[in-house]
Amino acid sequence: MILENLNNPEQLIRFLDEHQYVADEELVTSLYLLLKLNKPLLLEGPPGVGKTEAALVLSQWLDTKLIRLQCYEGLDLSTSVYEWNYQKQLLGIRLQEGSDLSVAEKEKQIFSDEYLLKRPLLSAITETEKPPVLLIDELDRSDEEFEAFLLELLSAFQITIPELGTIKAVHKPYVILTSNRTRELSDALKRRCLYHWIDYPDVAKEMKIVKKRLPGIEQHLLEQVVGYVHQFRQKKLVKVPGVSETIDWAESLMALGLRDVNKEAIDKTLGSILKSTEDIALVKADLIAF
Amino acid sequence: MEKIQAFQTNSLSEGIMAFARFARSHGMNIGIQETQDALQASAAGLLTNRSMFKNALKALFCTSPEEGRQFEKLFILFWDTNPLDLEERKNETKLEGSVTKKTNSSLVMLGVGKSEPSDEEASNVSGANSEERLKKVDLSLLNTMEADELEDIARRLCRQMAVRMRRRMKQHRRQGQINMRRTIRKSIASGGEPIDLFHRLNSPKKQRLIVLLDVSGSMDKYSFFLLRFICALREHFRQLEAFVFSTSLKRITHALDKQNLGTVLKDISEHADNWSSGTRIGECLQQFSETYGKRMLNGSPVVLILSDGLDTGDASLLGAELQKIHRRAKKVIWLNPLKGSKGYAPLAKGMKAALPSVDDFRSAHNLESLLELENILSNA
Repeated sequence: MILENLNNPEQLIRFLDEHQYVADEELVTSLYLLLKLNKPLLLEGPPGVGKTEAALVLSQWLDTKLIRLQCYEGLDLSTSVYEWNYQKQLLGIRLQEGSDLSVAEKEKQIFSDEYLLKRPLLSAITETEKPPVLLIDELDRSDEEFEAFLLELLSAFQITIPELGTIKAVHKPYVILTSNRTRELSDALKRRCLYHWIDYPDVAKEMKIVKKRLPGIEQHLLEQVVGYVHQFRQKKLVKVPGVSETIDWAESLMALGLRDVNKEAIDKTLGSILKSTEDIALVKADLIAF
Repeated sequence: MEKIQAFQTNSLSEGIMAFARFARSHGMNIGIQETQDALQASAAGLLTNRSMFKNALKALFCTSPEEGRQFEKLFILFWDTNPLDLEERKNETKLEGSVTKKTNSSLVMLGVGKSEPSDEEASNVSGANSEERLKKVDLSLLNTMEADELEDIARRLCRQMAVRMRRRMKQHRRQGQINMRRTIRKSIASGGEPIDLFHRLNSPKKQRLIVLLDVSGSMDKYSFFLLRFICALREHFRQLEAFVFSTSLKRITHALDKQNLGTVLKDISEHADNWSSGTRIGECLQQFSETYGKRMLNGSPVVLILSDGLDTGDASLLGAELQKIHRRAKKVIWLNPLKGSKGYAPLAKGMKAALPSVDDFRSAHNLESLLELENILSNA
């Protein structure tokens, strides 16, 4: 219903704004295209800039299920698509012993829907009510083999299970893929997707984001926090803080009742923004030099 | 094909198609599918607003932030060329009967044409013959253009190499976890008793690799290219730790995570104040063992040292330290660019001291010798 009434991206901007997600026009246009053309959207960018969050907000807006697949090295079909419920199958075979069903019938029963464990990709395709949002998170961590498999799924939206046949999508899911670009994804995959690069936000936008999340924050503190974070990002850190870390930091400062980012405050709370001892040492050394 | 710009088209869909052609002629990879999607998008109400229109086309046509930047330029060039500015010239061109020539010249004026030729050169990698030749050229004798080309080749071959290695390892391993899916499937024949057990092959573990690159003055001609090679390796061996050393040791694993080699080099050279200076291999290895040894020499990785072995430090320290590393590593491989030159013998005292603890001593003076790594690593 929402979709039919959707005529331009501005409606989307308004909604995202209400749901505490500050998006620029470019991202919103990409999301709009994702909905209108029903093509998968590939979001790339450094960690912690809100790639996963975008999928979350989109599913809220469409008021539909969010199905998430977290990728990792060694992810295979049995954990991402489907698996048979072996224990149940064994029991099923035992129970059939007394019956006078033919072997073919028995087999058909053992390999029926009842014994199938649906993993994220399959459940995204078989969702009956309305099209879900399928989030394939950190695709760059998976192996090339898995990426190749995704190609089939993303273009035809169907999965073949040898024992059951081909299962076609009831509703085409809205697919969002995210990647931190730790390796280059294949061209074939990229060509099937819309593409959007999310970068760290500028000062104004980041302040807006933090303000959205922490409405009670004082302007002075907000400016200081975001200013410092932007300084940190200029440094050569092992792990560059993302927007989520900025929010964490502001939140912990507020929780401690600190209203000013001074040396003492930084000493106490640096752990919530910098996540490696080398980085903390580096920043502290720089602060002393001030 | 004639290159035309926005003002020369009659309708928007014609404009979009012309723009797709325009962008393609500037090296962007835009196919029929993308053009079709763009037309569809324009029908879906994205016409009302100019920036939205641009963003939509960007999402459809680009596949990386670099392409995104190129797109911005092309977009302005195509849609914003003012017909009035070109009016006079247009008339002229009509007389001359060639439009293409003029559009090209306006490109150069805008500074886009400048970066163009190099892009084209890179994409038209010349035929197999020169590739074979490049693979054999001594790295110290390359010019910049060849170096770029060679890097492309290296990247491609490294990718193939990594895939092949994985396949090979799959065959090596014998049995892993029980494959329930097949076991149950086959047990139906015996009335549900899983008599034959089927195993799932262990998913192959990628070899852990530690690379130590000598960047001292004597290695100067080689070190930049070897670094490129490490970058290419890094893309395919995710468990790779890389260091550069000369008078002191510097970890560059994190710097390598950045995609662009240019930034990597800048990053490293900013930190490494010792680039192209003397060499104290022994001390650097000691530093490596002390700082990183505990963490990284676990699980017997393969240690790869790229150095010419011309040591100005204490040779006995080098021998002792390398022995320590050797004890904990699966294999120590020393690649020496000098070994490729005729009549080379490992007489330098550093090299001599190191050799007893080296499993494999090889040359590394051209790409071909580097690619032999495949055999070494898969046998490890």
